[in-house]
Amino acid sequence: MSQKRKVGNVIATILKYAVLIFGAIFTILPFVWMISSSLKTPSELVQIPPSLFPETPQWVNYQEAWKAAPFARYFVNTLIVTLCTTCGVLVTTVLSAFAFSRLNFPGKKTVFSLFLATLMIPGEMLIITNYETIINLHWIDSYKAMIIPWISSAFYIYLLTRFFMQVPESLYLAAKVDKCSDFKYMIKIMVPMNKQAIFSIAILNIISSWNAFLWPLLVTNSQEMRVLSNGLVRFQTEAGSSTELIMAASCMLVMPIIIIYLFLRKYIIEGVTRSGLKG
Amino acid sequence: MKLKKIGASILAMAMATSMLAGCGQSAPAETAADTQPAEQTEAPAAEASATEEAAPAEEAKNIEATEVTFWHAMNGNLESVLTEITDEFNNSNEYGIKVTLVNQGAYGDLQTKLQASAAADALPDLAQAYNNWLTPYLDKIVKLDDFVANDFDNWDDVVEAYRDECSEFGFIHAVPYNKSTYVLFYNKTMLDELGLSVPETWADVQADAKAVMDAKNIAFIGYDDLAGVVEASLHQNGANYVDASGALFNDEKGLETFTYLSDLYNNGYARLVGEDGYFSNVISNQQIASYVGSSAGVSYIKAEGWELGVAPLPGNVNKAANMAGTNIVMFAQDSNKQLAAWEYLKYITSTEAMTKWAVGTGYLPIRQSAYETAEYKAYMEENVCAAACYEQAKDFFFSPTFEASNDIRSTVPSTVEQLVYDKADAQTWLDTIVEAVNAQY
Repeated sequence: MSQKRKVGNVIATILKYAVLIFGAIFTILPFVWMISSSLKTPSELVQIPPSLFPETPQWVNYQEAWKAAPFARYFVNTLIVTLCTTCGVLVTTVLSAFAFSRLNFPGKKTVFSLFLATLMIPGEMLIITNYETIINLHWIDSYKAMIIPWISSAFYIYLLTRFFMQVPESLYLAAKVDKCSDFKYMIKIMVPMNKQAIFSIAILNIISSWNAFLWPLLVTNSQEMRVLSNGLVRFQTEAGSSTELIMAASCMLVMPIIIIYLFLRKYIIEGVTRSGLKG
Repeated sequence: MKLKKIGASILAMAMATSMLAGCGQSAPAETAADTQPAEQTEAPAAEASATEEAAPAEEAKNIEATEVTFWHAMNGNLESVLTEITDEFNNSNEYGIKVTLVNQGAYGDLQTKLQASAAADALPDLAQAYNNWLTPYLDKIVKLDDFVANDFDNWDDVVEAYRDECSEFGFIHAVPYNKSTYVLFYNKTMLDELGLSVPETWADVQADAKAVMDAKNIAFIGYDDLAGVVEASLHQNGANYVDASGALFNDEKGLETFTYLSDLYNNGYARLVGEDGYFSNVISNQQIASYVGSSAGVSYIKAEGWELGVAPLPGNVNKAANMAGTNIVMFAQDSNKQLAAWEYLKYITSTEAMTKWAVGTGYLPIRQSAYETAEYKAYMEENVCAAACYEQAKDFFFSPTFEASNDIRSTVPSTVEQLVYDKADAQTWLDTIVEAVNAQY
């Protein structure tokens, strides 16, 4: 009986690992492929059957990709835009989520519904209108243009409001009894209690901001203001594309995100599993 | 690749939105979405002509120093050559005109940005553009007829097909600039080894393809641009493609054309390129014997261990070759800027600057006189691609632009791909493509 169970356990473990390993390979293969492609020669890239690893790694691809556009400058710009939008998003989201979940003010429901209603409009629909606004404000070619329109998000506000609502009211009342101000309650109780959700929001925003392409392209004109994703199209023309250079540039583009992930993976995984979100 | 797809979908969405935004707009943009190009051409005349009449001729010499912005999509080496020529102009012109080049990424990005900027009334002074991008904002383009008539060094020197393309809307809306054409790139070593000659007709293609298939078991030919090959093949067979009313090839000639194409694919003589997008890599690896692609792509072919040959496109009843590459349009509304921009256009299309551009980039000269310079002749001696392009310059045709043309261009490739996967017969090809084209109107 116990031996049977043991065998059963072993089989279950093997199956579990098999599925996990399969899933891991499935997820990691595109990354491996990207990295190995970035080190191949153009002819190795299209070789049939394909080779997983290049014969001699072509590090020169990175050199060439780096030279093709001012990537250092792009990197700084991307970093500035990502940091500023993420900080902005966190401030606006936390404040408004707190207001919607805990405070009472006239028209709260209407305002919240209006927020929700904006979720129904695809962002792409707003892009031209926003672009016109930016032109009229004479913000073209500035960090403002890339940051300000993205420092609040109805979706994140909705999400965090839901989380804040789950915090029992008794905590709030208890804090009130102790003469805790609303702001202090928010900072000391609400934010720490929901840090995973807030973390998820930050991560999601960092990813989308890091990868943003169309908006930065629209509102900037000079090379000094462009971001990393704009640099990738430099290797494509009407008649061909240097895939190995695109891959090298892509590696440079995702590396910072991967490094962030490695450092923060504990929080990210917690945040994602707890909040039921994924990027 | 992923980026490309995302780019494409964003582009599609952005276009849709700009249409919508256009509807809600005040004055100028409201004509954008659904007016026929022919009607639109009348509209801008009134506002533009006031500035234009005063513009060219003798008064042209009173240009105040100004800055002109030029949006382009030239990357890599192309951008360096363009920058060099522009710097020369900036340093040498007597009026203190400064042209600022603004790189807007790839063609798709430039198209998106132009469309968005048209809706937002924020167009640059000059921009590269394909004709079929322009229909939604044709009313914002400066008519160049008077400039050309009064202040251009011999418009007749410009290759005829380019002149036609640039006056497609009933007025001269652009000056041709970075022009290329589709040519047949082939593996000369492989053909020599098998004792095959370069195909000049469809029958040659079929014969060579069979020989290559028998000997090497690889496809003979591929087409980078599936919409382009359908259009070119129809012309080569003496059939018409499309016009503003719909598909024009639902007949015997159309069926013949698709018999030729479907046979090539169904026998494995032709193949699709797949995720790579371009055959330049495939031929570099000697996995195909030849392909039809833009002459601008020659630098992407790495002929290591084999020799590259370039030939005009094989014909059937006729010879016909697609032209590719953009023209430069002017949007500047200020009359002084128009004059300044025109000085720049004259400079970069002059025989001398054009020769430099063509030799530096591999694009085709737009002027006959540039073809005849000693410098370009020497270039053609060494450059098989340039020579082949020149040889077929008389066979150029351009794709007509009308409201549905952009949609047709984007629909036909996926339709053809599906037909190839299905191994469909010629009649199915004809019916499906006719249907797909007509659905865009």
